Amino acid sequence: MDLAIRTEHLTKVYSGRVIAVNDLNLEVPVGSVYGLLGPNGAGKTTTLRLLLGLQRPNAGRAYVLGSLCSPAATSVRQSIGYLPTHPVFPGHLRPVEYLDLLGKLSRIPSEVRKPRLTSLLRAVGLLSATNQRIRTFSTGMRTRLGIAASLLADPPVLLWDEPTAGLDPAARRFTLDLITDLARTRTVLVATHILSDIDQICDYVGVMHEGRMIFSGSMREMKQRLRCDDFSLELDGSPEEIRRVAEQAAALPGVTAAVRDTHTIVVQVGNGFSRAAAMAAVLNLIDAGNVSLQSLGSGQNETEYAYLQLLQEDVAHGFRRFDLTSAHVADANIGDSGP
Amino acid sequence: MSLMPTLAILGHELWGLGASWLVRLWLLGSALATFLMLAGDWTVVMSAPLIARLLFSFLVFPWFFVVIVLGISPVTGSRLDALADGILSRPVTRFEYLFACWAARVAVVLGVFLAVALPAAAIIYLAARKGVPQDSVTPYGIMLSLLLVSLVLVFLVTLAFFTGTVLRKPMLAAVVLVFAWFPINIVLHEFQLEEFSPISLSQALPDVLRTPWGGDQGTDGGLSRADAEAIARLGKFVAELTVGAPAPREESFFDKGDYRDFSLPRVVLGYGVPTLILFGLATACFARRDL
Repeated sequence: MDLAIRTEHLTKVYSGRVIAVNDLNLEVPVGSVYGLLGPNGAGKTTTLRLLLGLQRPNAGRAYVLGSLCSPAATSVRQSIGYLPTHPVFPGHLRPVEYLDLLGKLSRIPSEVRKPRLTSLLRAVGLLSATNQRIRTFSTGMRTRLGIAASLLADPPVLLWDEPTAGLDPAARRFTLDLITDLARTRTVLVATHILSDIDQICDYVGVMHEGRMIFSGSMREMKQRLRCDDFSLELDGSPEEIRRVAEQAAALPGVTAAVRDTHTIVVQVGNGFSRAAAMAAVLNLIDAGNVSLQSLGSGQNETEYAYLQLLQEDVAHGFRRFDLTSAHVADANIGDSGP
Repeated sequence: MSLMPTLAILGHELWGLGASWLVRLWLLGSALATFLMLAGDWTVVMSAPLIARLLFSFLVFPWFFVVIVLGISPVTGSRLDALADGILSRPVTRFEYLFACWAARVAVVLGVFLAVALPAAAIIYLAARKGVPQDSVTPYGIMLSLLLVSLVLVFLVTLAFFTGTVLRKPMLAAVVLVFAWFPINIVLHEFQLEEFSPISLSQALPDVLRTPWGGDQGTDGGLSRADAEAIARLGKFVAELTVGAPAPREESFFDKGDYRDFSLPRVVLGYGVPTLILFGLATACFARRDL
């Protein structure tokens, strides 16, 4: 498997105090959409900045398309299109001027630059705003301009940090569809904590927690981790009748059931029992009772559940998270850099 | 190596600086101050001290503050975010960015200085002023003085650039420079070190302005300093005889000090070498920084 991005024991500690990235091993296959998932402060943005060479690692190495990442590695940045979370633009410029400046920074000759920036502005729907100064742009327009800026040099690798943060549903849909389109010809690494985005667009996912990668694999592997053994059933009927159905369901072998929010029953199926059989029995009880079924679903979104489970497991592992083998490999030089 | 990124950043910075109120107000303020100074001293002060007085405002006070503020801003405070997002995440080296920013600031500072000082010096040199003894200011002396002041301004921009890069906070850098550089400058001035102290260099400027091409204080096209001083003394004596003795007048700032050992190479090295060192240190400091 060819890798577009690879990190080996990547470690970043700010001012010798704050561990932002801890012994990170990341492998992103060429042509994939890789979702870097994690709560705020997990180290996602720091990882992207280390790949860009905006920061130096204290230990370990990062490679993009086989080239070592560092502040001096302009060839690496030439192959990366970066979209920050909330891009900061020079507000006094107009979008064409800004993209033209960035095109010059990427050493794109004028005869290529001009047509490309025009077509990009059209593609992201900013053609009608070319006469406006960037400072007058809404959040959505800024994100679209950031997207255009990241695509200007036609890079084979895209690093997008929270691309849907603060967007309305239409802009969010546009961004997700664009990522799917771009993934046909590029490698896309998306850092986010919005699980539904990952669910829709990613082939691979990595979950970061407190600077560590606690899971990395395909979306299928991620979902296989899910123990989908709880279901919520929303019922229509009198509260007494709903409670009675819940009591009957709880009497079934391997099933625990409880009423939640007056009209909802949460059913859990124990390990070793057939979920299908248990649910069929519960549905029969509902059918026989004086209530009607309004909706049926698993307790939580699958990916969300798997993600939360991963985080809980990581916390529960406690001291076992310490990996002695990696401590030997990392030639740590911690404490010599600031945030 | 393509210069396209460096030129793009340079153009962007120049455009931004040109559009800033600070630069516009500075240009307007310095032009107005120069006009008022000329109008006030037109019939009183000889050419060399008058030009030196104009240049003093750029070297020491008040425009020193503007030069410092302009030099500090590039890689400090909130600008760093915009930098990282927009420019330094592109295939641009940090040196390219710093050099272009520094060059833009130098260009703006020198542009404002020359736009104001060059016409003023030319007017003083060319105008025949009644009641003022003719001075031996030479075109070469004027060009040399403007070059020396430009060199000091480049040094001041670089000093501010370095301090801003190291301290990261623009306000802190400005305070440090004002409270550290001025006392140091005054101490250096006590030793009349024109190659390190802009105050001393200001005092040496009347001599520099009278320097003819080749360095010998000849009499071609005007009087030497000694001649001019002799004529001034004679005029004063005649005035005392006819009008009566005037109240004793304080010696002008530009008449103080002895700069007869003024050495151009020493002054150029005195400001040029620290400029190069400071820029090198700023580059080294910024290259190691996490953004």
